[in-house]
Amino acid sequence: MNRIAAIAVHTFKESVREKVLYNLVVFALLMIGAGLVLGSVSVGINEVALVNLGLSAVSVFGLLIAVFIGISLVWKEVDRRTLYNVLSKPVARSEFILGKSLGLVLTLVVNTAIMTAGFYLVLWYEKGRLSGADWAPLQAVYFILLQLTLVVGIALLFSAISSPALSAVFTLSLYVIGNLLGDLRALGEQSGTALRGLLRGLSMILPDFGALSDIAPAAHGELMPASQILTHSVYAVLYTIVLLSATILIFERKDLR
Amino acid sequence: MLVLALAASIALRIRLDREPARASPSPVYVASGKTLRRLSLGYQGLVADLYWTRAVQYFGRQKLSGAGDYRYLGRLLRVTAELDPHLLIAYRFGAIFLAEKPPAGAGRPDEALALIRRGIAANPSYWRLWQDLGFIYYWDLKDYAQAAKAFEAGSRQPGADLWMKTLAASVAAQGGELATSQLLWSQVYSQAGNESIRRSAREHLAAIRAAEDIAQLNRLLEEFHEREGRTARSIGDLRRAGMLPGRPADPSGVAYEVGNDGQAALGPGSRIDLRLAR
Repeated sequence: MNRIAAIAVHTFKESVREKVLYNLVVFALLMIGAGLVLGSVSVGINEVALVNLGLSAVSVFGLLIAVFIGISLVWKEVDRRTLYNVLSKPVARSEFILGKSLGLVLTLVVNTAIMTAGFYLVLWYEKGRLSGADWAPLQAVYFILLQLTLVVGIALLFSAISSPALSAVFTLSLYVIGNLLGDLRALGEQSGTALRGLLRGLSMILPDFGALSDIAPAAHGELMPASQILTHSVYAVLYTIVLLSATILIFERKDLR
Repeated sequence: MLVLALAASIALRIRLDREPARASPSPVYVASGKTLRRLSLGYQGLVADLYWTRAVQYFGRQKLSGAGDYRYLGRLLRVTAELDPHLLIAYRFGAIFLAEKPPAGAGRPDEALALIRRGIAANPSYWRLWQDLGFIYYWDLKDYAQAAKAFEAGSRQPGADLWMKTLAASVAAQGGELATSQLLWSQVYSQAGNESIRRSAREHLAAIRAAEDIAQLNRLLEEFHEREGRTARSIGDLRRAGMLPGRPADPSGVAYEVGNDGQAALGPGSRIDLRLAR
């Protein structure tokens, strides 16, 4: 456990040294601020636009951070040959993967917290004060974090079997498909038996990012029932376990010479 | 080199600006809300806001330029509603933009009705959409029975103001009468959350008051004719006969006058649009 924590902390420190991270966070904060402009050029949607644009910025830039740091996490260690130093110590490959993923999730939590603080600063500037209903977007932020945890798992899985460029393409493709699973299911229901079974199976296996999307309801102050939050959280945790287990299985068998 | 290239690009830009403008392309990039919802990958709320903003700007541009070409407005609003069915402002303001008679609006009460009905289907307990539905039936379609039904249905929704019941009864009993119209617009004026709606309500109320004044003056003109045995040629005749204490003016401050047909009318230069009282 200590070894996993040590790798996680090291990964976190390594990630925060990445200049691209700061560029993305600054850009995200600028986008959140732009919500003020969008509200002012429209009619009657100042707060809704601010929440939609703010949370979308948190999500999109979190996704970019998760993908572009996630895909190089393992590959970089192999490329620099620093992985051999780590594995020459009493560290199991599974501990290395778990530590790496935890470190990146920690980086994402900190970055999301900074972007969320920026979002609330802009919201406070717009409204003059924050009321109880204004904390509803925090639920959407929680779901964004669940999505990002899944993305980290996918990026790590691909980074264990492929080059960074291909891993980025695969991860982003899976994110897009994961947002369209509802349509995949609907398409299956209109198709013949064989295709229906295939599409239904795919929609069960692929990560359901659409189910973890909560930005639009949050913009209207709508909260998800507690039971639904719990179900979605358990789904995200279970799916992350599947992804990490698969990554560990592949990494354990990988010839690192 | 840098300065030279910049100067050349600015000169070229100025030349491009002088070229005659091409026909403006459709503001609706993707006409299907369902497709756009898929493409938005979970960010449909933001895309709906962008589409609503495009609808507002398109409407504003057409209105200000006087072009009155609102053919894309209904589609923009439909896509907005498909992307975010809970964006209430798009139904409420969108219906006004669509229903208003040209050149102030698109003059499409049918599309306004469809938009509001879509809004009610997605937000059935939001009583103000029923109020807006009643308005379209009342003002634009002159269907007072349907308007009364809409107000009555709205009055049964949670949180509905009590006056919705009064409105339903008034419209059912006296649909089309100025007093009922005044009641409707007074409610709009007192609840308007936007200056353009408040201004519109003010203009309607002013038109209703002028219509009432003109009706009252016509009654006095008839009385004058019966009493004096001749037709009054001006408002001054009524004053001299002791039937009016002063020279009455419309809400824009312009005095009423008697037209060639012997009926009371707005004076020249009046800013009142009597069509709004109908």
